[in-house]
Amino acid sequence: MTRTTQRRTPSTIRRGWTAALAAGSLGALAACGGGADTGGAAPEPEEGAASGSVTMWTYPVIADEAAHKAFWDDKIAEFTAENPDVDVTVEIYPWSGRDETLATAIAGGKAPDVVYLIPDQLPKYAKSLAAVDNFVADQSAGLRENAKAAVTVDGDMLGSPLLMNAKPLVCNAEAFEKIGESGNYPATWDDLMALAPKFQDAGYDVTNYWGAVDATLNESFYPLLWQAGGSVFSEDGTAVAFNSAEGVEALQFATDLAQGGYVEQDLLTTIPAFEQTHTAQGKIACTWQQGPGDVASFWGEENVVVLPPLSKAESIGYGTVGGLSLMNTAEDTDAAGKWLAFATSDAVSAEYAKAAGWFGPYSDQTGLYEGDELMTALEGTLDATTAGDLNEKSREVMGVLAPEIQAALIGEKTPEQALDDAAAAAEPLLR
Amino acid sequence: MTTTTPTAPRAGASAGGRPPAGRAGVLRRTMARREARIGLLFALPAFLLFLTFRFGPAIAGVGLSFFDYTIGAGAEWTGLDNFRRLVVDPVFWSALRVTIVLSILIVPVQLAISTLMALLVRRAFRGSRFFRSVFFLPVVTSLVLAATIFTWVFSTGGPWSTLMGLLGLPTGSWLGSTVLVLPALALVAIWSRFGYGMLILLARMQDLPRELEEAAAIDGANGWQRFRHIIVPQLRPTLFFLAVIETTASFQIFDLVYMMTGGGPARASYNLVYEIYNQGFKYFDLGYASALGVVLFVLTLVVALVQRSVIGKEK
Repeated sequence: MTRTTQRRTPSTIRRGWTAALAAGSLGALAACGGGADTGGAAPEPEEGAASGSVTMWTYPVIADEAAHKAFWDDKIAEFTAENPDVDVTVEIYPWSGRDETLATAIAGGKAPDVVYLIPDQLPKYAKSLAAVDNFVADQSAGLRENAKAAVTVDGDMLGSPLLMNAKPLVCNAEAFEKIGESGNYPATWDDLMALAPKFQDAGYDVTNYWGAVDATLNESFYPLLWQAGGSVFSEDGTAVAFNSAEGVEALQFATDLAQGGYVEQDLLTTIPAFEQTHTAQGKIACTWQQGPGDVASFWGEENVVVLPPLSKAESIGYGTVGGLSLMNTAEDTDAAGKWLAFATSDAVSAEYAKAAGWFGPYSDQTGLYEGDELMTALEGTLDATTAGDLNEKSREVMGVLAPEIQAALIGEKTPEQALDDAAAAAEPLLR
Repeated sequence: MTTTTPTAPRAGASAGGRPPAGRAGVLRRTMARREARIGLLFALPAFLLFLTFRFGPAIAGVGLSFFDYTIGAGAEWTGLDNFRRLVVDPVFWSALRVTIVLSILIVPVQLAISTLMALLVRRAFRGSRFFRSVFFLPVVTSLVLAATIFTWVFSTGGPWSTLMGLLGLPTGSWLGSTVLVLPALALVAIWSRFGYGMLILLARMQDLPRELEEAAAIDGANGWQRFRHIIVPQLRPTLFFLAVIETTASFQIFDLVYMMTGGGPARASYNLVYEIYNQGFKYFDLGYASALGVVLFVLTLVVALVQRSVIGKEK
């Protein structure tokens, strides 16, 4: 039997006390079930057709629920035509609370066999995942370098890329026209800063900066850090490196934008509804934190200009990769691995990425949106992106760094002091 | 002349007027025991559910605080390490400070407003039911929805900032200020909860005998004196109940912080519950999250005991 189902789960844990109780129940479950296996060799595919059952969890990557279900139903039919003894079930969960859902499922011994994860999640679940190198050996050579790097932890592919996206620089042509700088788009930090007072005088923000501590640094501070030539972690991942000279330079730039009043002040501390922001109101010149799809309906598609990421030492932006990972608790590993390889193959991923409005992770998947200027321009920036360092403690480090960055942005600390304080707070996490 | 009052034979007395037999007493006790057993049987499902889904996990949470447990990596006994870690963790102390300050800002003001509102609507007047419903409305309003609206209200160009400007006070976003963010959250928390306290106090006030107030009024006591010396003493148990409930609720504020500030700016609104949530469900460090949960439980218990000795003591 093959099927695709839609699951509903509570979106958030409303009370921390509930969280503590839930944590308690997880402890009870863990005591009964024992811990998951860690490490071990990457499983090898067996000869011939697979057999068994496979459950895959994914999320509304394709927003249209019916289309999403239909997509996977088609693919399940294709796969089972070659592997008639495999029973594949694809379950589509809501985005919200996905970590809670997955984590509790793992703890309760109810984890799926295959799951959709992004790079940020991989190190956290690494001990519950199996390397997929052997299942995707034939296809991984065709992956873009940054897509492969985004799923590789300690030399093992802990997922197979299915799609990717980029956050380069997007500018508002109308705003540039208004200040008489039509077409004079910024390529560097200095260009952007030089334009800032002129936009301010005309009632525009030169850019936006989501500084709320819950906003991911992947899209706000880290691109600046990478552009300055810095990195979040040291090369061996045992220490933080964001408090380097490059880090200070990046935070000084962000702080200058904030203190100069060149960005929307409310965004530094809160996450208002997008419709209420200057960005949505078109009162902004450029952004590296929204994609063209986010702003086109507000600015008018004709005003959206996609540009390479800003540059200081290097032109680089954030790009995420969505992939499928194999749980090391999968009972029918061979069937799950073969399904994963099929679902992330060049042909399937191209079709899926286009249906979702994203891009394929394979080098030869170009021209997916022929005739669409914006998407074609965005596709051209994919290689100038990174998903950042994959470190087991990346979320914890982000948790101690974000408030310090915010303190610098609102003038409570100097950039140096903020980054040094964050480094001191992060140091025990990496011991 | 003597008047006698005929007395009916007591239940259980024999037809011959003898005192109740021992057998009847045994029968009564047996009946009582049977009723108690039936009562327990009815309570059993709820008790089992409580045991399984509330008490059990809470005990497991205490147990987990002695482990280093990360999902997927199993659990390792670490004794008091999680508690030692939180003693030297500046984020914990900052979160504890925020939790206590927020509670201090919320509970007294909320109790005062609840009492005032209950006094205002306790007597029946035209529209009193309408006002009672209006005052209670925030309690049944989704906090997520309220938080979204108040985020706008407290924004730089929002109505609150405009009002401050009109009053000649500094404008700007209260949620963006490390000093004003907690008062802003406290205002929303008070707004969302005062109706509950009002309802409880109103129910108690309507049970108070009017004669005492009327006698005091005849003796010349003014409104404040009647409130201070007649109403408040009779409300003491209710106020104690509310103080405990509201303090516990203020210690557990999560929705507002999650929706409005994310703990910012610069951790100025990062409370203990938010830290528990982050450690448990963002970083999956469930052992440490449980240790924080234990601290929160102890804190709540201690405060409740202090409140009991101050407000709830019986004369």
